[in-house]
Amino acid sequence: MDVSELKITAELANLNLMEEEFVSLGREVEKILDYFSKMMEADEGSLPAGTERCGANRIRPDEQIRDINPDVLLENAPELEDRFIVIPNVL
Amino acid sequence: MYQSFIGLEIHIQLLTETKVFCGCINRFGDEPNTNVCPVCMGYPGVLPALNGEAIHLSYIVARALNCTLSPQAVFERKNYFYPDMPKNYQISQFSSPLGRNGWIDLEYQGKKKRIRIHEIHLEEDAGKMIHAGDMSLLDYNRAGTPLLEIVTEPDMEAGEEAELLLQNFRRTIRYLGVCDGNMEEGSMRCDANVSINLEGKGLGRKVEIKNLNSSRFVRMALNYEIERQTENLDKGVKVIQETRLWNENRDVTEAMRTKESAHDYRYFPEPDLPPFIPGAEFLARVDKGLVELPEARRARFIADYGLNETAADFLINEKATADFYEEVLKSGAAPDTAASWLQFDVRKILNRGNQELAGSPLTAQRLAQLLSLLAENRIHGKIAKQVLEAVFAEDKDPARIIKEKGWEQMNSPAELAALVDKVLAANTKAADAVRAGDEKPLGFLMGQIMKETGGRAEPRLVQKLLKEKTG
Repeated sequence: MDVSELKITAELANLNLMEEEFVSLGREVEKILDYFSKMMEADEGSLPAGTERCGANRIRPDEQIRDINPDVLLENAPELEDRFIVIPNVL
Repeated sequence: MYQSFIGLEIHIQLLTETKVFCGCINRFGDEPNTNVCPVCMGYPGVLPALNGEAIHLSYIVARALNCTLSPQAVFERKNYFYPDMPKNYQISQFSSPLGRNGWIDLEYQGKKKRIRIHEIHLEEDAGKMIHAGDMSLLDYNRAGTPLLEIVTEPDMEAGEEAELLLQNFRRTIRYLGVCDGNMEEGSMRCDANVSINLEGKGLGRKVEIKNLNSSRFVRMALNYEIERQTENLDKGVKVIQETRLWNENRDVTEAMRTKESAHDYRYFPEPDLPPFIPGAEFLARVDKGLVELPEARRARFIADYGLNETAADFLINEKATADFYEEVLKSGAAPDTAASWLQFDVRKILNRGNQELAGSPLTAQRLAQLLSLLAENRIHGKIAKQVLEAVFAEDKDPARIIKEKGWEQMNSPAELAALVDKVLAANTKAADAVRAGDEKPLGFLMGQIMKETGGRAEPRLVQKLLKEKTG
């Protein structure tokens, strides 16, 4: 994968990477893209789009799951005010 | 000469413990961004998992609104770029919503009318945004709240009709216990669309109205819009297909954005969620969740209990009140008496204290006991009202209150006869007048006896004794 394309992708994804990281990331992304090409070869035939249902419905019970503290998630926000995430005004 | 066509899109937040695709708590009013996790914040690599209760409640609504249930509910991604949805898509339903072709029956202007429901689908609510100056503030607590969208066909003609439909619908979902229907807090929201055209010419150009946070605003905005479009057409001005916002301060609709073409949301099947297929066991559980709906209950109350429409309307408006009423009747209370007490005396006290019947000191058993004491003549009407006040104030059973306060009706003939003699002797002028054939002072004498007994004397017996002793 071309490094310039990778740099654009990184910028869009808000990732600040060092030059040497682009090299290793480039190799990883190549592998992913190869995997996608392989999937493209598969013959889908008349299979419907979307996830195939296997056996019973996949549902979860209506119970609280809290395995990550929300504060940790908020640390990734570029700016906070009280507990709000702040972004440039969009209407 | 013009015909108007009104359709509604109603959104209701389902009363589940947790969000629809993740295990975060589903609750209004918490600190911003406290009920969030990687799934509802759109972190990469996470997987949504369907909340079984959310899909259960959704099918209950679809059944209650007479929909054809989809044998396979498919989830799709609705793509749009706006920061209220951190994933840049909303999981919704498009090709195979869970319910289609339902209806709601209305009684509008004395006529029965059927409003068709186009479809019902389950989706996730977006986060909340506050726009402040040059920045926007985001709170994702609401992102992922199970949201059910009900789309009607354009079968209504006036704002009043849409308002009535919303009120009926709200009552229905509250009966079903799937949503609290609080339009102010946004747990029930409504967008309306309206077009007008010359009669017989079919639908006109559709205008959508948003920002309608009460059923009254829905009525006002629609009627305003029908008038605005009529004036335009009369002047030969074309109606523009657009989205307008209701301005509740000025009572007008205002242009929001021109809708040149339908949005391209690039729907595609949500690859992370398999379709949901309702099996026989699931559907049996859905049927169990159905209750007698308000309109049916209203009809039954009128037919079985001989109530008038006003009383029936009042009683069925809240399921808790209707249940309470029938609980009182189980103890043998007369239907009309119980209805009247709830409609007037009880309601007066509740309104005064701004409280709800549920959770108040008045239980169905207590009201039944009070009505039975009244029916057995152990207390009379005026005292009964005092007892009711005391039940609310002291949180005790009516029988105990009556005993403690000595409010039991005096109905011993000997005791009352002595009292009548005493009052007659003390009021000779009035007594003589009655003896001379003037019936007017009877009321005064009666009042004196009531005063003596603190209102506890059995009035019919007193009347009989008075007549005997002055006859």
